[in-house]
Amino acid sequence: MNPAVEVDRFSWTYPLAASPAVCDITLTIPAGEFTLIAGPNESGKTTLAMAIKGLIPHSFPGRQAGVVRVFGEEVRRKEAAILAKQVGYVFSDPEAQFTSLTVEEEILFGLENIGVPESEIAHRIRHASELTMISDLLDKPPYDISGGQKQRVAIASVLAMDPEILILDEPTSMVDPLGKDLIVGICAELRRRRRLTLIVIEHNLEAFAALADRVILIRAGRIERAAPPREFFEDPEVLERSGVYPPQVTQVFARLRAHGLYRGALPLTDEEGIRAGDALLRGAGA
Amino acid sequence: MVPVDSPFYRYHPVTRLALLVFLSVTPLFVDMPEINLGLILAALVLLRWGRVRMQQIRRYLPLLATVALFMFGVAFLAPGDRARLAPFRLAGLTFYFQPMWWAFVSYCRLVAMLFGAILYFSTNRERDTLVALRSLRIPFAVSYVAALSLRSAGMFMEDFRTIREAEQARGLDLESMSVGEKAKLYTMYTVPLFAVALRRADEISNALFARGYTLSGRPAGGGPRTDYLRRRYPVERRDWTLSAGLAAMFVVAIVLGKVMGVFSDQLSPLHGVALRAIGLR
Amino acid sequence: MSASRTVPVSSAAAVWTVEAGEHRQPGIVHVVMLALFIGIGIVVGTLGSLAIPIGFVSAFWPGQAVQAVGGVWFGWWGVLAGMFFPFISNALSGSAPIPVSAAYLPANFLQAFLAGAAFRWFKADPRLQSTRDWVIWVVVGVLLANFLGAFWGTYVLAWFGMITQSARVTALLGWFFGNSIPSLIFGSILLKYVSPMVLRSKAFTKGWWA
Repeated sequence: MNPAVEVDRFSWTYPLAASPAVCDITLTIPAGEFTLIAGPNESGKTTLAMAIKGLIPHSFPGRQAGVVRVFGEEVRRKEAAILAKQVGYVFSDPEAQFTSLTVEEEILFGLENIGVPESEIAHRIRHASELTMISDLLDKPPYDISGGQKQRVAIASVLAMDPEILILDEPTSMVDPLGKDLIVGICAELRRRRRLTLIVIEHNLEAFAALADRVILIRAGRIERAAPPREFFEDPEVLERSGVYPPQVTQVFARLRAHGLYRGALPLTDEEGIRAGDALLRGAGA
Repeated sequence: MVPVDSPFYRYHPVTRLALLVFLSVTPLFVDMPEINLGLILAALVLLRWGRVRMQQIRRYLPLLATVALFMFGVAFLAPGDRARLAPFRLAGLTFYFQPMWWAFVSYCRLVAMLFGAILYFSTNRERDTLVALRSLRIPFAVSYVAALSLRSAGMFMEDFRTIREAEQARGLDLESMSVGEKAKLYTMYTVPLFAVALRRADEISNALFARGYTLSGRPAGGGPRTDYLRRRYPVERRDWTLSAGLAAMFVVAIVLGKVMGVFSDQLSPLHGVALRAIGLR
Repeated sequence: MSASRTVPVSSAAAVWTVEAGEHRQPGIVHVVMLALFIGIGIVVGTLGSLAIPIGFVSAFWPGQAVQAVGGVWFGWWGVLAGMFFPFISNALSGSAPIPVSAAYLPANFLQAFLAGAAFRWFKADPRLQSTRDWVIWVVVGVLLANFLGAFWGTYVLAWFGMITQSARVTALLGWFFGNSIPSLIFGSILLKYVSPMVLRSKAFTKGWWA
């Protein structure tokens, strides 16, 4: 079976740019994996994500080297509607992706584009809106709702198309803390319910670190590190120098370890931190 | 502002569009001012019935007044070949009956057509226009452009207003400004809109691509595009009845107006009254 | 009007030249830009008409500037936008009913088309870099376009009875100056300062459709 995504020595240079935005990237993402992509601003994360989605090169001029494949086929040879069925993309600014007059039409638009039969549409809208908790917003204009609701509408409109790969580009960046939790909850639920290949680009690693199967660090257009989360966050100081901040609980226990006060595995979540702290206090973690 | 609830919404958007066409185009075939005044009255009654806040209509009054001033002013100042016209005196000034009368006839026609559009835009949301266009099997790309244009106009208007309010909050006093200063300010406000439009064009086109939209609007497998929205607006018997009635009245108006000349302004009772009033009969 | 300087013709021509290996075709971005440009035209046209209304012959209608620059930047997409946004801006401001706006179509077409045609034919730089660019813009994009637009428009006004035949010359002058002055000021500012952004965008059309 083909992996979901294969990136083979891919480079991309935007017009008038002095250097490539991403350079010689090679990466394989198996179907069903949750990949978290981290890195400082302008490191090439979004460029890579857009190349997987097919926005590059279909929608952006520039120079490409190497190949990006989705389920074994080159992205640049696929049509927009086929790509839309296979790869869902949620932009960081939800308003930038709204094209319709009501939330319901926003979800409906993609379904009509990919030719979903009328008999199936109501069910898909209902299912996507329930999963993202926006069922009571269907009649509202997408501009008249909060930031968190907007992002959930954007996710719903992509989920309704039932993609096999879902890319979320900084989904919590324009959202309040409550909205962030809801979005993380949706990702966790997707992880649990479907065999969806999930790719999340985030600065805020706190929430997603424990959910991911693998974390990839991109810096200056290249992959610097790729590992399962526990291994990835093993050396927080190195990560911080690369402009990536591990979960706070990880940072705290890393400092304790640096001072010889803790010798166990670095926790990734608050719950793990509480257990590690508890063990430490009881003397078992030292 | 379109009313939240209105009896108009019981009718299919295409029927409401047919009403717009009827009210906007019929006056073209009618010279008799009484008929056009009747159409204006009908539009006002429908606005009231449609629960439109009549204060909204007031914003058109200054423009209607200046249009009247302009049309009658032109008829007064440039009446044409005075030797062939019937003069009359009013308030110490010499007017000529034929151009003034024709200005009145044209003004009634113009206002009747305008009120057709005012009625439509006061009682139809953007979505209604979109559904009407799609029901008429207008190509999807065209109806999509129409909807996006209307929506983007709203967005740009909001951006424009935001900039102006921010300036006013910093002490800008529009009332004391000269026309030239206002024009300069207007330019400063609108130039950023173009930069915003360029950015939005990129964003929206990326979003459309991401959702599988193609230039033709057709899905990847070919065949017609699903139109779920249109199914939600069924055509009822009252729509057929009203549309047929409007079509019949429209045909009658053309026949009576232009073929048989029944709606000629010369047959207008007001024409006789005006002639008598100024002593020309 | 800023001081102009002589710039080699080749740089202006380069704006319109499709380079070797460059592949341009109409895309979704052009359709979207058409819609957004209609939106801008609606706002500019409506607010301009309301600013100093004399009904359908507004003393200040910067909408023509939008028509002209649209044709220069976006080819047929801009021309289409320029033809159709007045329908809606006229309806919203109450300055002309729909049949009158329909009759204006040839005028709106000319007002949108001529500048775009002249810039492409004569390879003028949309950024108005040289005296030659300014001359082409002012003579064709402002004066000729508005004269022909006013000529047709006043014919429409007389046909609908909104002006008398003998007032046509006066109305033509009013229309001509009412469009030309804001077009010259506003359109020049747009070309000078917004063109650099437009030339870098995906929506800019070197040909007529892409």
